[in-house]
Amino acid sequence: MKVAFPCFGYETISLKNFVENLGAQVCLPPPLTEKTLSLGTKYSPELICLPFKITLGNLIEGLRAGADTLFMAAGARKCRFGYYHYIQETILRQVGNGHKFYPISQYTPFEFFFRKMPSIFSVSPVRVITATYLLLQHSALIERFRNYIRKARILDFNKSRAQEKHALELLEHAKKLSQIRKTKEAIDKLFDKTKIIPDNTIKIGLVGEIYIMLEPFANHDIEKELGKMGVWVWNQRSLYRHLKHLLHIDHLGIKYKFQASPYLKDSPGGEAINTVGEARSFIKNGADGIIHIYPFTCMPENIAFEALQKMSDDYSVPLLSLSIDEHTSQTGLLTRLEAFVDLLKRRKMITQKPKIQNSKIKT
Amino acid sequence: MKIGIPRALFYFRYGRFWQQFFNHLGIETVVSPKTNKDLLDIGLKKVSSEICLPIKIVCGHLEWLKDKVDTIFLPRIVELNHGLYSCPKMIGIVDIARMQVGNQCQILSPKIKNNFIFAHFLLGLNLTKNPYKARKALNKALPYLNNHKTNVFDNHKPKILLLSHFYNLEDDFIGQDIKAAFIENGFAITTKEVLDQTILNSANGFAKNIQWIYERELYNAFHYNLTKVDGVCDIISFGCGPDSLVGEIMNQHANQNKVPFLQLIIDEHTSKTGLVTRIEAFSEIIKRKTYTTDLHK
Repeated sequence: MKVAFPCFGYETISLKNFVENLGAQVCLPPPLTEKTLSLGTKYSPELICLPFKITLGNLIEGLRAGADTLFMAAGARKCRFGYYHYIQETILRQVGNGHKFYPISQYTPFEFFFRKMPSIFSVSPVRVITATYLLLQHSALIERFRNYIRKARILDFNKSRAQEKHALELLEHAKKLSQIRKTKEAIDKLFDKTKIIPDNTIKIGLVGEIYIMLEPFANHDIEKELGKMGVWVWNQRSLYRHLKHLLHIDHLGIKYKFQASPYLKDSPGGEAINTVGEARSFIKNGADGIIHIYPFTCMPENIAFEALQKMSDDYSVPLLSLSIDEHTSQTGLLTRLEAFVDLLKRRKMITQKPKIQNSKIKT
Repeated sequence: MKIGIPRALFYFRYGRFWQQFFNHLGIETVVSPKTNKDLLDIGLKKVSSEICLPIKIVCGHLEWLKDKVDTIFLPRIVELNHGLYSCPKMIGIVDIARMQVGNQCQILSPKIKNNFIFAHFLLGLNLTKNPYKARKALNKALPYLNNHKTNVFDNHKPKILLLSHFYNLEDDFIGQDIKAAFIENGFAITTKEVLDQTILNSANGFAKNIQWIYERELYNAFHYNLTKVDGVCDIISFGCGPDSLVGEIMNQHANQNKVPFLQLIIDEHTSKTGLVTRIEAFSEIIKRKTYTTDLHK
């Protein structure tokens, strides 16, 4: 059995290790490129959102790379994401031949542990539970790594690229619990914790739709570009948190729901409530600006966008909304980011100016 | 106390029920006028350009109502019929309204989750503090909840199924031109509103996978009518998430059954002329198809 599933940022490694722990061989599709996107766009409905197109292109490439079993997250609720697999299945049937396609429902953990996974991989539920525990540990490690690399980018961008490469190699080999623990120590050592980020660094809170936020291809590597400009990116989203949310043990989710309550009283589905809650807590913690990133025509994020605009007015914090689709160009995005960062720098200068003038008069 | 109901979105399904309900509670209701260009233009300025047309229209209506009443009634329909959700924008519109006109007037938004009637009873109780009165008003208003319409088919004319949400089709600003164009081309129109609720809400076949209330109705209406009509016209407002998926599924099914299928995507820039041209071309296709099948007989 050769398994393929859509890429999901750095977390692809966690998912790959999860499937390998269940005793299957993983046949990962090639890294996401423009070709993947054009392949996905070719077969997709016109009005669908971007993650559909990327994941579909990714699955088709996986099939071409020799996979015979495809996995896709499912779970129909308010957001469109849960319905992707119905259409993707019919499209993939036209493209591929003789493969199996398994939609994995997100909201039924009991069925996942005891029925679905054991029957697909023909393993015992105990093994599925241990593999899921390892997946949680591994994705927690990736979240830790993401936080380190964000800081490392501001301190020394060129060095951070080497560190990133090295850390990813380490993470790829962390399959058992003991290895994960060793990797955690190695990563802690790799990144220098003694260096402190200067106070005048621009801090930007990144919020939005989870796939676009975590997949560097989908967001045109926005975190790296911002890091290059010397911006400290705050990002609270990760696969680890999403998995915890699905297992009902995500305490941060409750906090953000409370934070969002003045703007959104009820969750309109998807991650809108997290988006708004995170943005508010970032602002309260002193973020200089908020970047909201979401796929074009995303329903929940459009509601969140209205709330964020109101919040931006209320707290007078600049907001940049980036709606991404397959026509978004990296250059256009960069120009907007540069302009936004410039604006934040100016704002910071103006708010700090009176202090400098006073000190000059004294000396 | 004056309660304002925007003549948009849910009004076209539950509007008469709400009016009767509030009247029997002894509360005066004001309904905003029919959608026109001015209301839409006001609404356009209030929300982001990416949001679908019905939401933009609601925002226009809210702006009209805000000076004329002291309370606007806009329920938050989250879940109906156990496990069937409404679209994220329908849930979020209440928050948008609160942010938009919350300073000028109060927004009355009972949260409706699963039990539609009990939520209204609680609302009546909250407004009058009299359970007997609330129940009486509810009982008197209930017959109006059934929006069943009858339309008689002219057997000689080719039949077309106009497939769209009630808030698109029954809003004359959006639906009138399309309906008129089809009638002008000699078609008899049927919509999903004439079907029985048991057909619309059935969970047989693919419909059980669809967890959106109004999308399931659309799909069931489509499935029920597939063999009974000569063509299907699906009207989608640009940016509508559920429709983009279910529309695609219906398109695939129509192709398999060789039923002509037209997808009209509308937004605030849609011109009447463009629509009429496409409808004329589509009607030609249907006429040719019936002509050739007659020849083969």
